[in-house]
Parts: sequence; structure tokens; C-alpha cells
Amino acid sequence: MKVRITLLWFVAALVVTPAYAQMDFSGEWGVRMYEDQPERVPGPELGDFLGIPINDAARLRAAAWDASLQTLREWQCRPHSADYIWRGPSQLKISKEVDPVSREIVAFHAEWLRSVDRPVYLDGRPHPSPNAPHTWGGFSTGRWEGDMLTVTVTHLKEGYVRRNGLPRSDKATVREHWIRNGDFLTVMTVVTDPVYLTEPFVRTTDYELTVNQQVPPYPCGVVQEIVRPKDQVPHFLPGSNPYMEEFATKHKIPVEATRGGAETMYPEFRAKIRKP
Amino acid sequence: MKREVAGLWAVAVVMYVGAGLSRPVIAAQQPQPPAPTPRAQAPIDLTGYWVSIVTEDWRWRMVTPPKGDYASVPMTPAARKVADAWDPKRDAASGEACRAYGAGAIMRVPGRIHITWENDTTLRIDTEAGTQTRLFRFGASGPAAPAAPPSWQGRSAAQWQISGGRRGAPPAGGSLRVVTTGLRPGYLRKNGVPYSANAVVTEYYNRTNEPNGDTWLVVTTVVEDPMYLNGRFVTSSHFKKAADGSVWNPTPCDVS
Repeated sequence: MKVRITLLWFVAALVVTPAYAQMDFSGEWGVRMYEDQPERVPGPELGDFLGIPINDAARLRAAAWDASLQTLREWQCRPHSADYIWRGPSQLKISKEVDPVSREIVAFHAEWLRSVDRPVYLDGRPHPSPNAPHTWGGFSTGRWEGDMLTVTVTHLKEGYVRRNGLPRSDKATVREHWIRNGDFLTVMTVVTDPVYLTEPFVRTTDYELTVNQQVPPYPCGVVQEIVRPKDQVPHFLPGSNPYMEEFATKHKIPVEATRGGAETMYPEFRAKIRKP
Repeated sequence: MKREVAGLWAVAVVMYVGAGLSRPVIAAQQPQPPAPTPRAQAPIDLTGYWVSIVTEDWRWRMVTPPKGDYASVPMTPAARKVADAWDPKRDAASGEACRAYGAGAIMRVPGRIHITWENDTTLRIDTEAGTQTRLFRFGASGPAAPAAPPSWQGRSAAQWQISGGRRGAPPAGGSLRVVTTGLRPGYLRKNGVPYSANAVVTEYYNRTNEPNGDTWLVVTTVVEDPMYLNGRFVTSSHFKKAADGSVWNPTPCDVS
């Protein structure tokens, strides 16, 4: 009997091939804000739409936006959406779910400070009906392209592409590429939004493996920040926002550039704004 | 029982042979084919024209930032001292106009790049910005040879990082890792944020394909320079594949 079992193990060991194609993204990742730090930590300045392929509808929404909106009870505990949170000022924890039989990774879960749990399913399940609820984290499925994980995100609530009022609609879809190079994680996000963007909005964000970190809890409580009538929503009526050109003036950048649009993403735009 | 055990042994032997573990014996009897060249081995195709899409760090890349605007860069006090003394006219007059176009920063400078194979073991990148040429040599490792003078683009050792491809299976993808040393001191930012001659630049090149037909090149750049940086300075830049080189327009280094 013992001989039989030993031989069966021997045969099994020869037959089983490890699933080499799966990169492990799980772990604690420290965000490296060596790009756009002023936008990501203190927060973006009003009227800074540089390098974002927005349309006029987005500009109109952003000009109507008043930062005091964030003090409303309904907004105080609002988490960043799945597409924006990569660029937020927070550590990242990624955990993995492993099938107990096949030992294949069937899901990753990404979690940041002030975020919701965001599962990325790798088990081949379909996306839900378009009529299913939209959430801050959306619905994400992933598939392997070599060692790179490509993720498709749908079912997002309306969010923002920049925290100064630039909107992203609930019709947007996001494609992500998770790329691990040693201790570095680079995530490319491609946001496609038929309502507010004229071209896909692409960014790449970097994290570094940080074994001694822990994403802290973020219990959020709602308080009365400003006393105002219950039905009052901070806003600017079209054409009445006096702050739209402050950013351009402060940084000596042409106003036409700060209004953004696809043209401002391309190198040729430099010639257009170059002083004679 | 004996017959059953013998049968299992037979299966085990067949599996052992089938798994290819007897290949060394066979290999010793036959002449080895030449190893594939790095060009033939490429798990991804990086060649072609690419245009940088500037959706990040716009006001430090698309325009020359003012002196003292060093946000986002983990500079040492020594670096601040150098940057505070930045004088673009002096750079131009002393033949240092290309300081912001060295390997530590060039992939972050807006413009198009053209990637080709110089030969079977050398990948070449030409840039519109500053009309620079980078040569990524496969099989070359270690620091720059002492005889080689430092240069803006230094000496780059390249290596494919191939995913999959074990046990005779075709590669499932991969990326390119490049380590550059032997650099002439340059700027990480056009307003004089410095890196020294001892800087080491490690880059990872990845390629993605999107459902709308777009193809992207993602370059993750890690600059290490204990003299001027407090940590590993990591940024990532993205380029969209261009149809051709019809609008290719190289420009000289410019300090303004």
C-alpha cells in the first residue's frame, strides 16, 4: 500500500505544472507621489484642467462647482471612486483570494485609506446587467496578459477626474493595467467617458512595496460643518465663478491652456502657447 | 499487487521521459542551434513611432517651471543648493544646453520617440526633443567602461523580462528592463533640479493594447542618486503609438 501511495505522489508531481503566468500583486504598497504631488496631497487648484481631454460640458460643470459642496452631510464621507483612488494620497493594500483546489488566484481586493473594498474578479464571471446598481468601486473583472493584469471596470457612480469639480459620468468605463516590476507597481488607467471626455484619459501611477505599512482605519462621521438652510447646495451659476483664472495668473500659464481639452495633452501644444 | 506496482512504475517512467528530463542526454548527442538573438527573442514589439501624452506633471513638463518650483521631487539639501543656482543662459553658453535631455529625464520630456533595432543586439531610441539617441545594448551589464566618457545618454544595459515560456511554451508577454549608468550630470526638471554623474537610471518598458485600437508604451523610470535624491525617484510616462513618422520633427536642446 505504501509503495502504491509513494508512486502515485511521484506520478502526480511529474504531471502537475505550476501556474507560472500569475503575478502576485498582493501586499502593502506605499504610494509614491513624485508626480502631481500638489494636486494629490493639498489638492488641485480651481481652474486647473491642464492635460485632461474634457469637453465643454465638463468645463461648464467644473465652473459651477463650489468646494464648499464637500461640507454637505451627503458628501462628507463620500469615498474616491475606483478610477480616481489610484491617484489619491493613500497607501494601498492588495490581498488575494485563492481557489483552495486549483490554487489559482480568483480575485484581488484593493483597499486604500478612505476607500471601499474593491474586488477584481478573475474567475470569468460576466459583468452584470447595465441596469444593475452603480457603486463607488464599480464592478471589476480581470484577465492575464502575460504577467500584466488587465482590468475592466463598469458600473461606476458619477465621480471626478480631478478633485476640483471636473466630472466623470456614470456612463464611463475604465480599463486598468497592473504592471509589477520587482518592488514597483505601475498602474495605467484608461478612462473612457462618452459624456465628458473627447478622448480616453490615460494616467500611470506608481507604488513601491512597503512591508512595514498598514492601511489605517478611516471611520467617518457626519457632522454639521456649516450652518446653512437645508435645501441650499453650494454652487456657481454659469459665468459667475470668479476663480476660474486664478490658477493661470498665479502660475503664469496661458488661460487657454488651463481650460484643458485633448489638444493640451499633445507635445505640439507647447508651440501654440510659447511666447514670441 | 506486483503487477499493479509494476504498472505504476511504467507510468512514472513514461512521465519522466515525457516531461523532457532526459533532454540533456539527447542534447549532448546533437549540435546545439545558435541562441536566438535579443531581437528574435523580443516578447513585445516596441518599435515604431510613439508620441508622449502629457496628462501628468503638465506645468513642469509642457512649460519651463520657474526657479524654485521643485514640488514632487525628493531633493537633498545639496540638490536644492544646485537648483537655486540654476542659470539657463550660463548653461547655454557653456555647452550644457542638453542637461534637461539626459537619460534621467528624457522620457519625461514631451515629444515623439522613434524606436528601431540598430542591430540584433541593440535597440535604439531617437527623440524629437533635443535630438537625442539612446542605445540599449543587450548582453552588456555592469557600469560604464572607465574609458568611456560620461554622456547625456550614458551606457544602457538591456534585458528582456519574459513571462511564461517555461517548459517549451511560447512567451506570454514580457517587458524590457534597462539600466543606465555613465551619465553626464543633468537635470530631472528643466529648472535645474539636478542628478549627478553617479546617478543610476533603471527603466521598465511595457506595452498595452486597447479595445479601441490604441497601443500604449508605458515607461517606468527609477532614478537613484544618493547625492541629490532622498529616495528612489520613480515616475511613469506613457506614449501612444503613432501611425507613422510623417510629423517627425526633431528639435535641438533648448534651455528656455
